[in-house]
Amino acid sequence: MGRVALRGIRAHLVRFLLSVLAVTLGVAFVAGTFSLRTMLSSTFSGIIDSAMVGDAYVRGSEPASTGGPNGTQVGEVRTTISTDLARAVDAVPGVRMALPDISGPIVLVGADGTAVTSTQAPSFATALYPQDDTIRISAGRAPHGPGEIAIESATLAASGLRVGDRTTVVVGGALRTVTVVGEVAMGAPMAGATITFVDVATATAAYAPDGQVPTITVLGEPGISERTLVDRISPVVGATAEVVTGDTMRAESRASIETMLGFVTTFLMIFAAISLFVGAFIIANTFTMSVRQRMREFALLRAVGASPVQVFASILTQAAVVGLLGSALGIGAGLGLVSMLRVLFERMGMDLSGSIPLDPSTVVISLVVGTVVSIAAAAIPARRAALTPPVEAMRDDVVVHERSLRVRALLGGVLVVGGLASLAVAVTDAAADGSALIGVAAIGLVVGMLLLAPVIARSVLGVLAAVFVAAVKPLGRLARGNVTRNPRRTASTAGALMIGMALVGAASTLAASTQASTRTVVANEMRADFLIQSATGAVPSGAVAAIDGLASVSHADALSYASALVTTGGATPTSADSTTLVGAPAAAFGRSLEVSTVAGSLDSLRSGDVAVQKTAAKDHGWTVGDVLTFTTDTGVTTATVGAVIDSKALGVPVVVPDSLAARLVPTSKQQVDTVFVTPAPGVTAEQLRADLVGAAKPYVVLSVLDQKDFASQLADQVNQVLVILYALLGLSVVIAILGIVNTLALSVIERTREIGLMRAVGLGRLQLAGIITIESVLTALFGTAVGVTIGVVLASALPTVLADTGLTTLVIPWTQLAWMLVLAAAVGVLAALWPASRAARLPVLDAVAYD
Amino acid sequence: MSIRTSDRTPTTPDVGEGRTGPAVATARGLVKTYGAGDTAVHALAGIDVDFTRGELTAIMGPSGSGKSTLMHCMAGLDTPTSGSVVVDGEDVGRMNQRQLTRLRRTRLGFIFQAFNLVPTLTAAENITLPLDIARRPVDRAQFDAVVDAVGLRDRLNHRPSELSGGQQQRVACARALVSQPAVVFADEPTGNLDSRSAREVLGFLRRSVDELGQTVVMVTHDPTAASYAHRVLFLADGRLVGEITDPTPDAVLGALRSLGADDVRGDHHVEVRTAAVTAGTDL
Repeated sequence: MGRVALRGIRAHLVRFLLSVLAVTLGVAFVAGTFSLRTMLSSTFSGIIDSAMVGDAYVRGSEPASTGGPNGTQVGEVRTTISTDLARAVDAVPGVRMALPDISGPIVLVGADGTAVTSTQAPSFATALYPQDDTIRISAGRAPHGPGEIAIESATLAASGLRVGDRTTVVVGGALRTVTVVGEVAMGAPMAGATITFVDVATATAAYAPDGQVPTITVLGEPGISERTLVDRISPVVGATAEVVTGDTMRAESRASIETMLGFVTTFLMIFAAISLFVGAFIIANTFTMSVRQRMREFALLRAVGASPVQVFASILTQAAVVGLLGSALGIGAGLGLVSMLRVLFERMGMDLSGSIPLDPSTVVISLVVGTVVSIAAAAIPARRAALTPPVEAMRDDVVVHERSLRVRALLGGVLVVGGLASLAVAVTDAAADGSALIGVAAIGLVVGMLLLAPVIARSVLGVLAAVFVAAVKPLGRLARGNVTRNPRRTASTAGALMIGMALVGAASTLAASTQASTRTVVANEMRADFLIQSATGAVPSGAVAAIDGLASVSHADALSYASALVTTGGATPTSADSTTLVGAPAAAFGRSLEVSTVAGSLDSLRSGDVAVQKTAAKDHGWTVGDVLTFTTDTGVTTATVGAVIDSKALGVPVVVPDSLAARLVPTSKQQVDTVFVTPAPGVTAEQLRADLVGAAKPYVVLSVLDQKDFASQLADQVNQVLVILYALLGLSVVIAILGIVNTLALSVIERTREIGLMRAVGLGRLQLAGIITIESVLTALFGTAVGVTIGVVLASALPTVLADTGLTTLVIPWTQLAWMLVLAAAVGVLAALWPASRAARLPVLDAVAYD
Repeated sequence: MSIRTSDRTPTTPDVGEGRTGPAVATARGLVKTYGAGDTAVHALAGIDVDFTRGELTAIMGPSGSGKSTLMHCMAGLDTPTSGSVVVDGEDVGRMNQRQLTRLRRTRLGFIFQAFNLVPTLTAAENITLPLDIARRPVDRAQFDAVVDAVGLRDRLNHRPSELSGGQQQRVACARALVSQPAVVFADEPTGNLDSRSAREVLGFLRRSVDELGQTVVMVTHDPTAASYAHRVLFLADGRLVGEITDPTPDAVLGALRSLGADDVRGDHHVEVRTAAVTAGTDL
């Protein structure tokens, strides 16, 4: 029987080719994701190993909230420690040196006059100790004084600068002209991070003016173990600090990076799973059709003594071969994909570690996943083949009885109704957990519609086909007959497309709604004429001062983000209390921002009170008059809640006046996110814009936006996310197209005699190709229409459920959705090309005589 | 055999000679060879034949005699190796695919042994299929005449799967005749039918010739079926070896025996069944 199965595949390789390809694409995604993860993981491990070379580390003993992200730390944020500790540690026997880690954000201007940045990688400057022999200066020398910097090799290459060049940096909020005096080799690819070195005094002035640093790196004398070093240092650091071995520190960093990569992997795996699921449809269809055609062969096998189990096993063997072959090719394709990604990343200035990794576990998982999916998909048709009585299959005209759709209709109906019901509850019942209900609704609707698809196929296709039936006689009618004659097959072919299109429909509706909501929020809440933001996320304080000093500016209100542990009633703060704060001048409300107040008054901010967001107030039970305790690494401060506000623009739980913000976070750690600008009387918008652009230009990374620019910039960000999402969904759509090609090609083989007959009675080749093309277009339209409808229905509930997060307006992007249908029609035409030309080339006589 | 008329023009008995009536389809020196060299099979080894307008002609012969090949070449479904075929005044041999399609669409009708109907179309739609494909208007009078002649008035909205084998074959006949083609080619039209259904179909084909003035060429194994024809041509080894006019079943059987092919009828079904099973394994 095994031989029969293998011969069967060899004899009909073309028939299984697209199934193999479907597995290949799905598995490529899986293998690629694993391989990408391994590559990123080894890159970041390399960074940790080459950047964290200490034998021991001294750090704060308590977890803390620190003044905003500075991009140089991974892992848990802790309280800072004094640089003075370094002197005490240095005196411990066995310690070769103790170096406080002083670093912070920097903007480095490259040779082309723009900031050196690469995608999402951080840009920071770090103190270079002259005595630090772990850092290798490969060219030039170490920087001395505020006018000199050294640059890491990859950064230097990306910046286009050379040792000896003069350039500009923004350090500690101030513009500074500096000379590049050295190049530092880190010994590992730094994943595109922009790394600059300054001397200790400069770094201290900019990043640790209060003498507080997150960690102190300790290097031991040769021959002293890390453990011994830790034991010796621990007694001298006191209660506010703790000592850990270098290995522990590196392991913690690695663990937190693995966690982040885990999220990325999970995210990508969702799309890989969708692709594989869609691929399973193709395999199931292929085997269903192949089994249907080979009924007589199975009957013969049964007649000569094969048992149903043997027939079943022989079909599953074929599925396993398809799965294994597809998986093996998929692993290769996955590695190719990652290699291409690496080249792409390199182009964008993100160096990743050398070899494309291929773990044995990646190989095994990929092979198993591909094979199991194939076998599972083929199991149902295999079972049907095995159970068909030989007598029935021996008949001249094999009539494969289509099983009743009643069970499917019932089950699908229940799921769809259940999904719609939970959607209705999510929308109407404010107390319910909306997101969870929408998740339930999504599963119910998608699975339910997949089950219902064959039931509704006839009527939906009838409507869709009406145009073709009327426009192209008699081809439209013939095509309609072909797609509705086996609704189960058409539905599962379209189902593959439906899944991807449901996600596309939901994503595009969500994106359009988000953009419209953003525009509403900007229009409602922003009163300033212009705002200034930085590409690095922080507007330098020098720039804020420069803008405030412009004659054409009446007010420049700076909004800064920070975080603190916020508690009430004397509770002990834990890291779970970490809360994001916005610091703003009390006067900004009313002139720069229009924020609606639910309770209390924003005027109270002038007297040092704070405002809390409506949602946060609900979650924590805060009301006007409550006293909040703010714990940061500078100490503990209290303030009274003066107002409860409802602001989508300030999407943070707590708003504090800038006087309070200055006490919570040291000025050096404050990050100004946005500066709102109102013009002086009599100044036109053009004048103001010109002045602002002039003031912002030296800082390279600043952009000046009016309300419209701002709204469209936010819309662009949404579009970028949408593009990534579409790209990831693209693969499942490609697989779905293969599915249409597959079904059409197989149904052409199945209908050979019918095609021969029609050709004999005068059907032209183009007419035949036309019929098949219309079938293909109808299938694609069916999948797209149903899928997009599901997506839009689900996404429509989101603005009601997520209104609190700022998603207030529901916009259904009709034009975009119409384009989806046009695209589906185009996809249909594309998918029909090969099957149609194959059918048209069938010689009439052979087709008539085909059995 | 009461249907048969006896007052027809007498025909010359000479095999291969042109007949006196007007010929609607003519073959001259028709040769069809499959393969080449030692393995070459001469399906048609030089045939001259005329099919008379307004007649039902049957082609008989043992398996492998070339009767189906002859019909396929006449109908433009197969290309002869050499020789000429003229149908309704047009040289089929010189036609390209597009012209052949048009020829089949407008001048020819087909009835096959099985699988004559498009399963997704109703009986009525199947009947008008050639006209629809050609985008020609349906002649209601002709349609009604044909439908009534085959007795399918009450089955017009049924799908093929809802019709019996005989009814399906009658739909196929109606389809072949509705466009009033110059010639109808029927390839074993009763091969899959029980004797009663076969009689109905053959009776209808004969009436279509006698009453509607059609021309029908039919390949058959069955002497009874052949006896419905005006004229029976006998083929063996790719050559025309005999001809009788106004045949009776006994006369046909006698002619076959004299050709040494008395086993034709008996092995017919066996052959088909074997083909079905072996074909199944090849899928």
